[in-house]
Amino acid sequence: MTAFESEADRSILELGRLAAERALSDAACEPSDVASLHVGNALAGELNAQAGIANALVSRLGVEGARADRVENTSASGASAIHRGVEAIAGGADVALVVGVEKMSGGETAAVTESISRLVHEREYAQGLTLPSFAGIAADAYLDRYDVPREALATVAVKNHENAVHNQFAQFRTSVTVEEALESPVIAAPLRLFDCCSMTDGAAAVVLSREGDVSVEGVAGATGTHAVAARPDPLKITSVRTAGERAFARTACDRDDVDVACIHDAFTILELLELEELGFYDAGTAWRATQAGETALDGQLAVNPGGGLKARGHPLGATGVSQIVELVWQLRGDAPTARQVPGEPETGLAINVAGFGNNSVCTVLSG
Amino acid sequence: MTTDGANANDRMRTDLAFRCEQCGHRWYYTRGRCPDCGEEEVTTDELGVGELLASTRVDVTPEDVRSPNRLGLVAFDDVQVIAQLDGEGVSVGDRVTFSGEHTLREGDEQTHPRLTPVATAE
Repeated sequence: MTAFESEADRSILELGRLAAERALSDAACEPSDVASLHVGNALAGELNAQAGIANALVSRLGVEGARADRVENTSASGASAIHRGVEAIAGGADVALVVGVEKMSGGETAAVTESISRLVHEREYAQGLTLPSFAGIAADAYLDRYDVPREALATVAVKNHENAVHNQFAQFRTSVTVEEALESPVIAAPLRLFDCCSMTDGAAAVVLSREGDVSVEGVAGATGTHAVAARPDPLKITSVRTAGERAFARTACDRDDVDVACIHDAFTILELLELEELGFYDAGTAWRATQAGETALDGQLAVNPGGGLKARGHPLGATGVSQIVELVWQLRGDAPTARQVPGEPETGLAINVAGFGNNSVCTVLSG
Repeated sequence: MTTDGANANDRMRTDLAFRCEQCGHRWYYTRGRCPDCGEEEVTTDELGVGELLASTRVDVTPEDVRSPNRLGLVAFDDVQVIAQLDGEGVSVGDRVTFSGEHTLREGDEQTHPRLTPVATAE
């Protein structure tokens, strides 16, 4: 993968090429080996004036002749591209290359905000709703329903920032304290700056084949309602729950087997809700587990050892692929010592979420 | 009429839900057919009074949206809605209704009601 950063010097195509060539080198593959190329990307047309990004990458990489497509599923474009690559292998391709890439600095902040705010339902858009709005409402409901101290959300940010300190690819390699998180500017009350991911440039890539030291045990997607308020409970993200159930159903693994998880923490509240929806914790209890250190690097379920979206960064289409890259490093034991999950982890899980739960993809890996 | 027809006729007024002509099921967020029976023909229905379930104050908003933008999740019996809140003095559990005429986004040609505490609306 490439460094995740606020404003990359490279073009979106060069970011994608760099990540892809690093993945091919890691897998000891040549471009001529690639039978199938899948590019996870959300906004290249809107922000980078780059239509047909998959076809453009074909020539940059020298994989002419391969099947190629762009996979767009907003913030979960990367995991959907992984899913497409797994299907390509199942369909007979020997080698599939999956690239997730986004250059959000290619547009003015207002333009990016407008593009992302168009993800919501038209009647939500009319009210000025944005993704942080939903997160703010969910956080308000969570704190109120389960009598949770505000510090619990900050604890998620503190943990993920601490993990990112040791991630050379992370956008924010700085520790934060609970106090700093609680004093940062309000974005969507009760959420503050340190509860929210940022805009990021970056790319990640993986090579899929039938042989390797890490296996995709199961991958599955599921959709939820387009409008968030149409869900019966603001603290239930059905797409996450269903994607997780479907992914586990395709494996011989269960929740207890998972040693390390990359959770889509676009907002701190989402890390807690997704851990609960995936069945790792009962409703209303993930915050206690987090505060008790259960999701820390040396906890019973290490969550977001690379810093998560919060601190590694969230270049939309690249995020889902970067989660898989992180899990591969962890399962191989290749992560830097300071953020390697101890105890030789064998099973990893990633959940990548589009919108505020419109569409989720869960992947289970074993190493 | 269909949902498209309802949108055109009522200009998506924020205080209206869709109601299925066939089975009476109500929903708020536009969809092509009744989620219960699949009927396309709909009418519209005033939401009335609901209960505030959760709220947020968004300080960082799109350029054409007020800042801060106070928003509430409200249950109107069988229909839930997230919409702009009017005023400061409303808390979770309060009864609210759509009231007044406001510009929700700069440049909107039409005004719409906002969620308002029932006591204030009266």
